[in-house]
Amino acid sequence: MKTLLIASALALLTSSVLAVATVGQPAPAFTVSDATGKRVALADFKGKHVVLEWLNPGCPFVMKHYSSANMQGTQKEATAKGVVWLAVSSTAPDASDYKKPADLAGWMQGQKAAATATLMDDDGKVGKAYGARTTPHMYIVDPAGTLIYAGGIDDKPSSRASDIPTSKNYVNAALAETLAGKPVTQASTKPYGCSVKYSSM
Amino acid sequence: MTTIRSLFLPTLALLTALLLPTQAQAQAWLATGAIVTTPQVKAELLAHAPEGVAAGKPMWLGLKIQHAPHWHTYWKNPGDSGLPTTMEWQLPAGVQAGEIEWPTPAKLPLGPLLNFGYEGTLLLPVAITVPAGFTGNTLDVKLRADWLVCKDVCIPEGGDFTLRVPVQAATAGNAALFETARMAVPKPAVGSQSSATVVDATLVLKVSGLPVAWQGKVLSYFPETTGVINNAAKPESRWDGGTWTARVPLDPQRSASPAAMPSVLVADGVPTGVLVQVAVEGAWPAAAAVATTLPPLVDSAATTAPPPAITSLGWALLAALLGGALLNLMPCVFPVLSLKVMGFAGHAHDRRALLAGGLAYTAGVVLSFVALAALLLALRAGGEQLGWGFQLQSPAVVASLAALFTLIGLNLAGVFELGSVLPSSLAAARARHPVVDSALTGVLAVAVASPCTAPFMGASLGLAVTLPTVEALSVFAALGFGMALPYLAASAWPRVAQAMPRPGVWMSHFKTLMAFPMFATVVWLVWVLGQQTGIDGAAALLLLLVALAFAAWALGSPGLGTAARRGFGTAAVLLLAAALFWVGPSLRQEAVAAPGTAGSSDAWQPWSAERLALARAEGRPVFVDFTAAWCVSCQFNKRTTLQRDEVMKAFAERNVLLLRADWTRRDASITAELTRLGRSGVPVYALYAPGAAGPQLLSEILSVDEVRTALLSLPRP
Repeated sequence: MKTLLIASALALLTSSVLAVATVGQPAPAFTVSDATGKRVALADFKGKHVVLEWLNPGCPFVMKHYSSANMQGTQKEATAKGVVWLAVSSTAPDASDYKKPADLAGWMQGQKAAATATLMDDDGKVGKAYGARTTPHMYIVDPAGTLIYAGGIDDKPSSRASDIPTSKNYVNAALAETLAGKPVTQASTKPYGCSVKYSSM
Repeated sequence: MTTIRSLFLPTLALLTALLLPTQAQAQAWLATGAIVTTPQVKAELLAHAPEGVAAGKPMWLGLKIQHAPHWHTYWKNPGDSGLPTTMEWQLPAGVQAGEIEWPTPAKLPLGPLLNFGYEGTLLLPVAITVPAGFTGNTLDVKLRADWLVCKDVCIPEGGDFTLRVPVQAATAGNAALFETARMAVPKPAVGSQSSATVVDATLVLKVSGLPVAWQGKVLSYFPETTGVINNAAKPESRWDGGTWTARVPLDPQRSASPAAMPSVLVADGVPTGVLVQVAVEGAWPAAAAVATTLPPLVDSAATTAPPPAITSLGWALLAALLGGALLNLMPCVFPVLSLKVMGFAGHAHDRRALLAGGLAYTAGVVLSFVALAALLLALRAGGEQLGWGFQLQSPAVVASLAALFTLIGLNLAGVFELGSVLPSSLAAARARHPVVDSALTGVLAVAVASPCTAPFMGASLGLAVTLPTVEALSVFAALGFGMALPYLAASAWPRVAQAMPRPGVWMSHFKTLMAFPMFATVVWLVWVLGQQTGIDGAAALLLLLVALAFAAWALGSPGLGTAARRGFGTAAVLLLAAALFWVGPSLRQEAVAAPGTAGSSDAWQPWSAERLALARAEGRPVFVDFTAAWCVSCQFNKRTTLQRDEVMKAFAERNVLLLRADWTRRDASITAELTRLGRSGVPVYALYAPGAAGPQLLSEILSVDEVRTALLSLPRP
């Protein structure tokens, strides 16, 4: 009975943390260090579109989009249009595929990634506030600070890079619509990938 | 030594000629089958047709997945992450496969996230419909299955399965498993009523007509539709008489707004759930636009090697016989070989003794192979992850062999005589029974030769350990017989014996000379032990060997008087006992640092299934060197091929990731990977080309040309 109580309390606690970011509502604010040690806040980018990309280089689904240069291409296209792109690592330092800030920055550089910054969310607070479940998991925040997209990178949940040419890139589609002043038609999609390796603490 | 050459050259030529078809056959074994083994799962395609195959008769096919502890695969709705297992069938015209009948899933929490899936043993059954007038003796099934297997990390895996189901005969070997799986599939609740409405951010479920025994119990809720509910949140629920009501929090980033939500409910402590068709009444709130329906899942990046299939026991026996004969050419057998040559020299002109010795040696070799194989099979049946050559993974066995070879070396060098050490009756018995001596030489040959068995024998032994016990043991017996065959032939063939020079003074020089290969073997064994236990262990073993040598000299030197022997002997025995006492624990210790053979140079990284899967997902070619310190052929290949600059350059040119799987000590994941490749020992060299279904296995005796040719087939980066 006691364990049941504790379990329920924990479930309530985690669910209350998870159930925060909602499409159409203000995006949760955050301030974290990036991989170079600089503090980055969502508020710094008020007036701009911001893409959040949850990543973990140890995940085959993330590798699907990096080894095919699909993610980098999406990043370049977005940042060329003045969109801010924040890659977020919520992998706990005790997870086997955790990368230290310098290693992750080096990895991003090696992948020729075009992210504006790579954020170190080691304690998983940002990830939990956004309800990030998978790597990759994508979010778009509009210039007014409203969450306008949450979901997958595309519509083909597989780990095979050869599926990319025939899949619909939800982030490109949502950005095209919002930059043209239109509402996003597919604002919530099913993300797919590995679990975000949150600390079990 | 000319006699040795005259014995071996024809044998070598003959065996080399015969070896080529054997290797080709080994490749064919790897082409097809019903089992795929990875370090994380063992997947097997099974059939259940208890009344034979015909229209109207029940027939099921099923994928059995046995997960390694703590690994899981997913239900049709995987929950917060993951992918469901997919199956794509190729069946004869008119034969239809139904949908996967998913057993009741379990909740698999990971940190704040929740997945739905399976651990342990799982069978995913599929009903098969056969058209009227189906003809043929067999129904041939092909299946492409893909699954994502996760613990804290995820690996996409898959395999191609083939199965031949007899049409006339009943196939019911797995009846119990299929029955259990069918029992575990959630059944529609007869007469149940269920509906749901969306209130704020929750789905309010009302279900009545559930089993009476469930009333008052806590129920778990599993929606088949993905992307609707907050999986990890615990619903509030209550029973009002026979109606169960639950408030299930919705996913704030909900990606679907279905009109009906087929769902599974499971009561606490009940193995099988109930399927309810929940109709969603009223409209979904407009906040989240709906994504298009998810397309059916397609297969994934990593592909497992096709599993080995048993085509012919006869081929395996023949391959084992030839492989056994070839063992005589392996470096590990040289020291024992020299003992045999001495035996020949000693009895060259006594044909009866020679033949008796040959037969005894053969018996010793065959029995030891069978005994060792039986031990291996018994341990594997007990769940141990072991492979051929496993005994050298134990530091204690390595130390014992080192001690034995030291004693043989000292004896040959003349430091002590056995007659002085052994009780006189035993020594006399040994002298009177050279046959026993020959049999023991056979045992020794097998003990040392077994780690060298992988070259030429890799595929055969990999097959053998998966065979039924009697057949497996006969393969090992054939291997032993093949190994003993050249000696048996020589001892039975007078001309070989007559070619031996007459006994004389040269024999005592020859005997002393033969001590050196024994000491060289000791050096190798000490090095192996050093890899296993570190430098302290190696030093401890050397100390033990010194004490042993002192004891052998003190007790057995023919030049010592009785008093001296008694004095030195007592000291030596005490010293030996002290050394054993002091050294014992350090031989059991495992080295703290990674063994030197793995990751000793920057170009090579230690192998892991994840690293391999990752690199392959990146589209990078990978070369895996399965090796062990005690595997002499592995070390030989390393020196002659893998460490050569031109080979390293060729690897670098193609951007090949170099992984080294070090099997010096027991490693269940490496053993499992070897099994997956259809092997049971090292060396194995696997080259994974980007996009290829499985690895290309190179030969166990590598050459620079072979590696370069294999690399040429890779795309340039």
